[in-house]
Amino acid sequence: MTAQFPPPVPEAEQRLLSHEELEAALRDIGARRYHNLHPFHRLLHDGKLSKDQVRAWALNRYYYQAMIPVKDAALLARLPDAQLRRIWRQRIVDHDGDHEGDGGIERWLKLAEGVGFARDYVLSTKGILSATRFSVDAYVHFVSERTLLEAIASSLTEMFSPTIISERVAGMLKNYDFITKETLAYFDKRLTQAPRDADFALDYVKRHATTPEMQRAAMDALTFKCNVLWTQLDALYFAYVAPGMIPPDAWQPGEGLVAEGAPAAATAGAPAAFSGSDVPRLPRGVRLRYDEVRVKHVLLAPERTFDLDDNAVAVLKLVDGQNSVSQIARTLGQTYDADPAVIEADILPMLAGLAQKRVLER
Amino acid sequence: MNAPTPAPSPADVIPAPVGLLAELTHRCPLRCPYCSNPLELDRRSAELDTQAWLRVLTEAAGLGVLHVHLSGGEPTARPDIVEITAKCAELGLYSNLITSGVGGALAKLDALYDAGLDHVQLSVQGVDAANAEKIGGLKNAQPQKMQFAARVTELGLPLTLNSVIHRGNIHEVPGFIDLAVKLGAKRLEVAHTQYYGWAYVNRAALMPDKAQVDESIRIVEAARERLKGQLVIDLVVPDYYAKYPKACAGGWGRKLMNVTPQGKVLPCHAAETIPGLEFWYVTDHALGDIWTKSPAFAAYRGTGWMKEPCRSCDRREKDWGGCRCQALALTGDAANTDPACSLSPLHAKMRDLAKEEAAENPPDYIYRSIGTNVQNPLSEKAPL
Repeated sequence: MTAQFPPPVPEAEQRLLSHEELEAALRDIGARRYHNLHPFHRLLHDGKLSKDQVRAWALNRYYYQAMIPVKDAALLARLPDAQLRRIWRQRIVDHDGDHEGDGGIERWLKLAEGVGFARDYVLSTKGILSATRFSVDAYVHFVSERTLLEAIASSLTEMFSPTIISERVAGMLKNYDFITKETLAYFDKRLTQAPRDADFALDYVKRHATTPEMQRAAMDALTFKCNVLWTQLDALYFAYVAPGMIPPDAWQPGEGLVAEGAPAAATAGAPAAFSGSDVPRLPRGVRLRYDEVRVKHVLLAPERTFDLDDNAVAVLKLVDGQNSVSQIARTLGQTYDADPAVIEADILPMLAGLAQKRVLER
Repeated sequence: MNAPTPAPSPADVIPAPVGLLAELTHRCPLRCPYCSNPLELDRRSAELDTQAWLRVLTEAAGLGVLHVHLSGGEPTARPDIVEITAKCAELGLYSNLITSGVGGALAKLDALYDAGLDHVQLSVQGVDAANAEKIGGLKNAQPQKMQFAARVTELGLPLTLNSVIHRGNIHEVPGFIDLAVKLGAKRLEVAHTQYYGWAYVNRAALMPDKAQVDESIRIVEAARERLKGQLVIDLVVPDYYAKYPKACAGGWGRKLMNVTPQGKVLPCHAAETIPGLEFWYVTDHALGDIWTKSPAFAAYRGTGWMKEPCRSCDRREKDWGGCRCQALALTGDAANTDPACSLSPLHAKMRDLAKEEAAENPPDYIYRSIGTNVQNPLSEKAPL
């Protein structure tokens, strides 16, 4: 894990690259080392992670998000002219927002809350892995201490992020019923912000890396940044996937969460969370129907049509006003050869979500 | 990154329609000055007969329509409303009765329930009875509405209250929210007036000022939070104070079609105000042909008809250029960008117009009625 960075360009090719060659070399680093290739991300996007594993990711990644403006402020402080600073400061605005409740960090907090965390617990960062802290801090130091060219080049992972974001959003929405489009609002913005930021940084690197050595330094900086991201996923995998060695002080599943359904229950008259013994039913005015023209099931409700994923359809087909949630989970467990307790834990929030939209009762 | 190239697909694909607005009749006991019906209302003698409506519903289901909005006028004024509702249920169509709740509505409600009605949307003009009845132009309407709402929830039918908001009732927004809760409604629509049809004629009498609009939005947002899981509140923001326009009916010819009492099929309820469009009738053509081939639906479907700034805009497949009827009424050309859009060169003028009208004393309402000689608003009110 502490091996030297491999030389991205063979010694023989140590000549000044053209702008096109330099860009190709930088993109090649991403193609080989960007964290979309990491096994943890593949599990995440393919829906293979449990809810707790997704939580661990959201919690740890918060620290990275929170420190990005610190990193950018360090870089900003070193920029010599107003025009550059005006451009770079936009990154800080994007992350911190212009007012309370705005910005990328806030949207990440929404994501963490969306998967069940209490806001204060996430903000405290006390449950994150040490490896997360070390990697992120190393990134901040790198940007503060290395040359401006290297500092800017290290941000070029943004060239690769639109791909990972599209994969991630599509995969997570499809595969996790506890993830909603609102939860993933962070990525909506980054899809347009990241390419804008990357265009500027790439142009800067091309124009300022004027010797073979400087070009090599820029490539090394990007490699370093890829490793910052990769290492964080290594640590997540090690702690929460296999072998599952969670360090003594790090987050344990169950910690730092808001009791499920609690925000809804806190409001007067709101439907509380479902429990296993509840018998859900579709109220009058809500119908599950197969749409032959579009070849899929839809849930019809007043002035609304809900598109359903396969899991929701499987559950709603069993919602008949007779079966309890536990009975539904048992039936699904038999059909899909899975643990009914796991299924029940998965479908309870789904049912509560539908109840909150007023299309399910008990 | 540089010159935007017009997207080829999905705009060019004709999607299956999702909703059918069945304007069963233009007859209505109420005379609301913001009614979305056209200024020239169809007479009873011109209305489609029962068999024609049943055929329209059958064809609609075959095309992929999921929701049918039984509307008007007052749809329960049709003697065959129960039969039409039963047909929806038979076809698996989700039926939504859009009613004023007055006149014969209550008497037919139980039969509609038995026929399989899915949902009721009840209009409320105001919270205070005197104010509501002044707006709706009908004495004793409010108690009838309250009785009707009570029976809807008693039967276990989901109820939506629809309140059209304007300067005559914008102070009652908190009251509408309380009323919806009290009546056991599951949804409330706080719909700021859209200035087409009769509302366009009455714009100066209806336009609220910006501060009132902002306050109403703030109230709704606070109530949404407070009533989460109990009441869903849909908010329709007024175009004249908006930043971006609404996608007209979800995009021209993309989601909805509107069948008038005499069987004319429109892409939106105000489309007849656009001169030169050729509408087809369900009495002459199959509904599927009308959806895919009729000139009126083809005219503004997709993005090919767009001019700048829509043509190269990132949002062109989000709001589809906004409302064609509003573009026509306010700019003189239906293919212009809806001036509700902040990117329209006429947007500032539109806002100023709203501000001016809101600042003046409101003129009297011109109530809707069949056979009243109302000037075409396009000649009465000049484009911007």
